[in-house]
Amino acid sequence: MATLRSHARIQRSADDVWGVLAAPERIREWFPGVVDAQVADGVRTLTLRTGIPLIEDIVTLDHQLRRFQYKVTGPIPMKFHLGTMDVIDDPVPGGPSCLLVYSTEIVPEPMAFVFDGAISEAIANLARLLDAGELNPEPLTAPTIATGPAGQD
Amino acid sequence: MGRKILFITTDQMRYDAIGANGGAVARTPVIDGLAADGVSYDRAQPQNVVCMPSRATMVTGQHVGHHGVWMNGVPLPEDAPSVAAVLGGAGYRTALIGKAHFEPLLDPFLRFEENRIGFSGRPGAHRGFDHMELATHGAVGFNHYANFVRTEHPEAIGGFFQVLDADLDVSGVGGGDTGAPQVKLNPIRREWYHTDWVADRTIAWLDGLEADADWFCWMSFPDPHHPWDPPESERSRVDWRELDLPVGYPESPAEREAILDAKPRHWRLWYDGELVGNYEAPAKWVPNTLTADQVREVNALAHIENELIDEAIGRVLAAIAAKGWADDLDVVFTTDHGEFQGDYGLLFKGPYHVDSLMRLPLIWRPAPSAAAEPGRVSRPVGLVDLAPTFCRIAGVDVPEWMDGSPLPVDDTDAAARGFERVLTEWDSRQPDGTEMHLRTITRDGWVCTTYRPGTVHDGTEGELYDLELDPLQRVNLWDDPARRSIRDDLVADLVDHVVEPTSLRRTEAPV
Repeated sequence: MATLRSHARIQRSADDVWGVLAAPERIREWFPGVVDAQVADGVRTLTLRTGIPLIEDIVTLDHQLRRFQYKVTGPIPMKFHLGTMDVIDDPVPGGPSCLLVYSTEIVPEPMAFVFDGAISEAIANLARLLDAGELNPEPLTAPTIATGPAGQD
Repeated sequence: MGRKILFITTDQMRYDAIGANGGAVARTPVIDGLAADGVSYDRAQPQNVVCMPSRATMVTGQHVGHHGVWMNGVPLPEDAPSVAAVLGGAGYRTALIGKAHFEPLLDPFLRFEENRIGFSGRPGAHRGFDHMELATHGAVGFNHYANFVRTEHPEAIGGFFQVLDADLDVSGVGGGDTGAPQVKLNPIRREWYHTDWVADRTIAWLDGLEADADWFCWMSFPDPHHPWDPPESERSRVDWRELDLPVGYPESPAEREAILDAKPRHWRLWYDGELVGNYEAPAKWVPNTLTADQVREVNALAHIENELIDEAIGRVLAAIAAKGWADDLDVVFTTDHGEFQGDYGLLFKGPYHVDSLMRLPLIWRPAPSAAAEPGRVSRPVGLVDLAPTFCRIAGVDVPEWMDGSPLPVDDTDAAARGFERVLTEWDSRQPDGTEMHLRTITRDGWVCTTYRPGTVHDGTEGELYDLELDPLQRVNLWDDPARRSIRDDLVADLVDHVVEPTSLRRTEAPV
């Protein structure tokens, strides 16, 4: 299993950043290559720019922890996938600030390179859009989906 | 009007693949004719033995440490310099038709421009080329050849070898008559196969140019790179049952293993299936299972693919002649790196700096109007010297950012201009954490490889071969006290000239 981790410091409060990430369908606004996202019954279905769909089970959506976890279930052949986004309050003098940590565990390992690059580009884009005020939080409406030990099978 | 430049590359072709270099199986009269009328280089080496770094060197004229593509999967930066842009600035029309691979192929998020151009279905402009029309080794991915097969001949898609298995590892599934890995009988019609497609699209692009245009066209064939799945209709060209085994293949397992055991440990580890140092080598295939008949069949198919390439080049040259451009046409023919094809009992490629992978065919047939003398150059040159050569042909100053120099026309010219050594590098960091780092210098008839510390080597290992006495590089003299002086001299020279990367940029895909 390959484990990846990327992070970004964002000059917004943790609540603001979570206000974007807690709406899973908004991924299309900040993840390059994703042109559509639909959420229904705990499943997020992405459509990539290539037309390829990516189907994901939402494992955790925890407003208190500010944690979002999902598993890619198809059609890209994954033996195991768990993506985790944590938004951590980390104020600094002079203004709001938080850390976004995006971790991925993945099998098969060759896909790690593909996801690592795409995720790094995506969170850099997310940070840029939030810092520039081009992405704004929405009221938390999605129900909490909390699992036991962090999304494990 | 200036000189026209046709730059022809194949992918993963050995030095001895063509008749002009002693190849005795594949009939390559067109390439041999270019050699007879031009300059052949007998010690031409890539700066890296896998596709992306080597191709990045060709388009930039830079060593790996400068262009930064240190392994497959690391994209050439969008703003990297390009010889095509230099020539375009001098008024040349520019095209790359066939395999580019400056950017990763495995790209589901469509992050890379080559794939976006291919996905669009239309030729695009990129990296200084006015026209990119792309292909790879089969009917998969985001490229124009895959679009062509999918839309016009969908029944042919399944005829190609499926390169990735269910684990997204490179597949080692066997086929053909012998069960050799990555061999498949492909029922595709010859005229739909990518070799002829690349030639067809090159001719179409040339047909669209004005009669007085100056142009630079990189015609880039995906073959004879694995998988070995040429059109089945062509298999009768070379019967594998009648082939001699390659001289580099030791038929006795004991002899093979003794040779491998004298080399750094990753050679034997791969042979025994305990380590795969290059993603492109099938992850689940164990080289020590390779049989002599499998070596024969793989070689036969590579020879067939090379014959098809030769014939395709012939068609393009005829089309150029019909346009009235023959007298002003420079042709440069080479490949990006070699292939084991049975040497040492191995197939494919990886972190192994021997002639199988490093000694390349390279021919420069200057324009007949230049009235150059044909000949052979024995001094070392590199693919890093190609871009400066194109500038020289076009009458453009060689930019300072190019590391190479225009190719010499003979050994006297080479000696006068300091062609003494050629360097080849390898760095890899696999998804499982395996790291290897090789630095090689070829000079004065010696090839010397040092190993930096990684997960397989502790940094004390090395290889040293006498190319004259040991042309197959079977006797590693690294630890021979009698060769210590030459070893120390070569290592010092290597350290003085190698261009180290300042950092290893992110790998964005396995290939």
